[in-house]
Parts: sequence; C-alpha cells; structure tokens
Amino acid sequence: MKRQGMDNVLVLVFSSAVIYLFLAIIMAVIPGAVMSRIPPGVGVVPLNAAQSRGRAVFVGEGCSYCHTQQVRPLAQDRVWGRPSVAGDYAYSTPQLLGSERTGPDLTNIGARQPSEVWQSIHLYEPRALVHGSIMPAYPWMFIAKAHPNPGDVVVPVPPVYAPRGEVIVETPEEQDLVAYLLSLKQPPLPSPSPLSP
Amino acid sequence: MTKSITESKQPSRGPAEAPVAQDVAIFNAFTISSTLWLLIATSVGLLLSFKFTYPDLATNPYLSFGRLRAIHTNDSFYGWASVALTGLAFYVAARSSGVQLQQKALAWAALWSYNIAAVLGSITLDLGISNGSQEYREWVWWVAAFFLLAVILSGIVVVATVMARIGREIYIANWYTIGAFIFTTILGITAAIPIYQHGLGQVAVQAFYMHNAVGMWFTFLALGITYYALPKLLNRPIYSYALGVLGFWTNLVFYPVIGAHHYEFSPLPWWFQTIAIVFSVGMLVPVWAGSGNFWLTMRGGWATIRRSLALPFLFVGIMYYFLGSTQGTLEALRSLQAIWHLTNFTVGHSHLTMYGFITFIAWGGIYGLLPMATGKRPNAILVGMHFWFAFLGVTIYVIVLSIAGTVQGITWANGDPFIASVEAAQPYWTGRAVSGTMMLLAHFIFAYNVWQMTLARKPNTAPPETVGAR
Repeated sequence: MKRQGMDNVLVLVFSSAVIYLFLAIIMAVIPGAVMSRIPPGVGVVPLNAAQSRGRAVFVGEGCSYCHTQQVRPLAQDRVWGRPSVAGDYAYSTPQLLGSERTGPDLTNIGARQPSEVWQSIHLYEPRALVHGSIMPAYPWMFIAKAHPNPGDVVVPVPPVYAPRGEVIVETPEEQDLVAYLLSLKQPPLPSPSPLSP
Repeated sequence: MTKSITESKQPSRGPAEAPVAQDVAIFNAFTISSTLWLLIATSVGLLLSFKFTYPDLATNPYLSFGRLRAIHTNDSFYGWASVALTGLAFYVAARSSGVQLQQKALAWAALWSYNIAAVLGSITLDLGISNGSQEYREWVWWVAAFFLLAVILSGIVVVATVMARIGREIYIANWYTIGAFIFTTILGITAAIPIYQHGLGQVAVQAFYMHNAVGMWFTFLALGITYYALPKLLNRPIYSYALGVLGFWTNLVFYPVIGAHHYEFSPLPWWFQTIAIVFSVGMLVPVWAGSGNFWLTMRGGWATIRRSLALPFLFVGIMYYFLGSTQGTLEALRSLQAIWHLTNFTVGHSHLTMYGFITFIAWGGIYGLLPMATGKRPNAILVGMHFWFAFLGVTIYVIVLSIAGTVQGITWANGDPFIASVEAAQPYWTGRAVSGTMMLLAHFIFAYNVWQMTLARKPNTAPPETVGAR
C-alpha cells in the first residue's frame, strides 16, 4: 500500500503550504508593501540625529508596552490629540503603536507636556511629579554627583527624591530620550479629517 | 495496528511496541529544557506583577519593566511552550505512526537551536537590544533565526517520522503538528524580511504576525497533541475524524485573516479591520468543531477523567480553548473593543489562551505521555497540587484582569483623569500578584514532578496510566 505515487504526507505538506503562503501574501506582504509607501502627512518630518538616538532608547527600554502612539477616532481619545492618520507614521520604523495603555498615550506628548525639566524629573522619579504613578524610575539615565561640572545640566529633583548631598545630572542618553519625547507632536491636518468625531 | 515483533529487535523503521531509549531521551530532554524556561519566564512574570503595586521595586536597568516584559512573553512562548509542544509532537508522531522517531540527530539539533535562541533572546532583550516592542517578535533577526532553524529541523523530524509510518492514513494529530511547523516556517520568513515593513506597513505585518504566531503555531501544536493524548488516555477513539479535518482546514483559512483585529480604530484601513472582524466570527467554526469534538470524545468518561492525573489538565485546556477563543471573537467586535482595547482585558485574554489552553494541554500531554515513555509516574498528590494551584491561579488571574480592564475602559470612557484608571486597577493588580504566586508555585511542583518522571532513580516498573488504544 505504501509509497504508491506521492506520499499523503507530502500532499498535505504542499497543499497546506500553498494555501498558507497565499494567505500570507495577501494578508501581510501586499498590505505591508502598499502601506509602507504611504507618503508622510503635511508637517510630518523625519527625526534628527539626537531624536533618532532617543527613539532607540525608547525602543530598547520597552516604553511602548505601556504607552501607545495611536489616537483612536473615539470620544475618550480626544484628550490625546486628533485621531491618528496613516501619514503620521511614514518615518516610524520600528512602529510603536503599542497594544496597551497602562500609561498615557504619547502621540502628542511633545505638545501636551513640552517642558524639558518636567520630562527629566519625571524620568528620574515619576512619583516626584505624579502621585499614584506606577511608571518605572530610570535613575540609571542620570549621574548623581556632589558638584556639577561646567556644562552639566542639573535636574531640579525635589529634595526628598534626590540622594542627600548630591545633585542629579543628565546623561547624553537621557537628553536624547527627552529630545525624542518632545519631538512627538501631531501636525494639524490640512483639512478636517473624515474620521474626526 | 501494531505487529508482533520484539522490542529488542526493532529495526529503525519497523513497528514499535514501546518507544526506544533514544526516543525517550529526546522526549525527556525537551520536557526538562522547557520546564526550566517555564520557571525562568514565570519568575520574571511574577516580579513584573509586583512592580504594578511597588513600582520602585528592583529599580535596575536589567530588572526594569520594559525589558523584562518582553523576556517574560518570549521565554514563555519560545522557551517553554514551543519546546514542550515540540517534544510532545515528536512523541506523538512516532507513536501514532508505529515507528521510531526518524532523524534523531536533527531533533537534538533543534533542541540546541531552541535553547540558543532563548538564551540569546533573553540576554539581548535584557541589554535593551530589540526589534521594537512588537509583541512576540522582539528578538532581533539573528536570534529569531535560531528559533526558525529549530522549527524547520523539528518539522523535518516530524514529517520524516510520519512518512515512515505503518499504514496509509496519517493520524489526525499529525496533520495539526505538521501544519504548525510548515505555517510557522512561512510565518517566520514573512516576518523577518524587512523590505516591505516601514511605518504603517510594519503595523499591517505585525497584525498578521502576532496572531499567527499564536494561532498557527501554538494552537495547531496543542490541538495536535490533544487529538492524540485525549483518545489515548480515555482509551477510546476520537468522536469524529471528520470534525478534526474540518477544524484543520477552517483554522488554516480563517486564522491568517484575523490579525488586524489587534489594531481596531488604528489608522490601518477600515475595511482591513472589518475583514479581520468578520473572520474572527468565522473562527467560531474551527473552535467549536475542535472543542465540541473533544467534549464528545470525553462524554460519559467523567469517572476516568477524575481518576486520571493527566486528563483534568486536558479537560481544562479544552474548556479554556473554547472560552478563550470564543471570548476572542466577542472582543473583536468594535462595540466591545471600544471599551476593552488597550486595557488589561487583553492581558487576561492572553493568559486565558496561552496559559489556560496551551500550557494546560502541554501539561496534560506531559503527564499523560511521559510516564508511558519512561515508565516513571509522578506523585499523584503533587500532580493534584500542581493542577489546583495552576487552575485556580489562572482562573483568578483572568477574572481580576478582566475586571481591571473593564474598569480602566470605563474610566477612560467617562473622561476621568488618566491616573484614575491606574488607581482603579490597583486592587486587581494586587489580585494578579497573588494569583501569579499560586501559578509560580504550581510550576515548581511541576518541575519536581518532571524530575520524578525523568531523571529520578526509581524502579522502572510502574504501569503507565492506560494502555491499549492507539
């Protein structure tokens, strides 16, 4: 009985592989290729060098697990900005839309919280600024020293959160990250979006 | 099914009454390796759960939430579940085909490759080296390549073993496991090629990838294992072969289309999301065909299930397959996504499915089949403790996170300040840490039981749970 013609196993392997390959092409490869070519929206610009380095820090630290970068066309999302549109993401690779909003959406954080000082204190110890926040603190992005050197940027951390007798100084990594956060601003849409609620 | 031939004279392609020592060694090694990853992945998970209540706990770059979160999910998926289910798939392929495992060297190479991927993946993620926070493909390409190699090698082992089978029919379990290796190979290559993944294009590919990694890999493997282990342990045939075949093809056609339901209300084209929702409803066909088939196979077998060590795990796995997948269909509806999307409800759903379904099936398979291979049975009371801690743990986990997600979604819809959603979820996060502790405790008991079934020195005479049926 066995091995007359093609083994049934190979029939199963090839037929299911062909079907799945077809589905992968129409559901992933073609949509991916088409949407990769969506041109940037008006006012959407590439990041500069410091912002790009900051984005890499953002990716490496996994910030996107708690912070989305997508504003939905829903009433409860109006607080984060206007609804996101395809052209907003032209320079956003790897994509950072996120799947959970344990913390606030950051699509427009550069406009909503434009203070560099606020961002730095918040990264050093979020609870110094937001009571009840559960965001991790990132003290390793700062240097604690007794006396700042010329050129150091000292972060005005409230005394209860700072090590006694030392000042907190920004690192280049932290400055890049803040530069990236402040770059996150939604350019206004040229005409009213059909998705606007 | 089996022909009379003595065990000592088994030719490599001949019928096998019992697994040969080399096959047992492979089954042991896969189970032990996966168990170690389970302990690592869920210890990390427990630490993460405490960070929700104590955010300043373990403030250290290598123990920070954003890095460990990806390690928890990837090690659970690729270190634990993938390796455990591959070891089971090998055993099922050999036993249901009535032959030894073919290409044993490739099986060992696959185990190494899985482990190299998991070790390098954990190290790179902990150093902040990642492919972006894209769920289940955070590993950089050269780490993922080791995993893909392991999948391909494992697929060759299973296909070669089934090709060497006695008899013409391919047992339905092997349809599913072979499918898993083929689909995941194609999926891995599709996801790894960067040229069509920029900006929103990468979102589209991620939508496809994240759901297929779950649905075309873990679901297919777990269903395959169930199609073998359930009738074997109940000592009766599967209720309907045809339903199994229906489930195979409908899973294959519907599953790859539903990924975009993870990006509802995103800038992905609205019609693209709508297709995903429609097919999510279509997923009820394979889910109900599969779980119904298993329930009909179990009907009237309650006495056997209660006496068995392994069957309660399979029972829970099938129940949560049904509940978790049906919940997934409901979640995909826009009216419900508007509230539940981006909340902890999703995390509850992923544990209901990856833990309640996939992990319980893996445990059922291991407790049912490993003693048959090694002749060493675990302590029944300890298996019972494992079962109850894990079952109650995951059940509480899913309930509290579903409530937490609902509460989060409602505070957002009310227009409350964002921090209100954090404060409202706090008591449920405490509940999650408690249930997570129960689950981790269960895993340590499981690890001891695995040791009892594999490396422990004990007389090799204990009878396997049931004998007979294929």
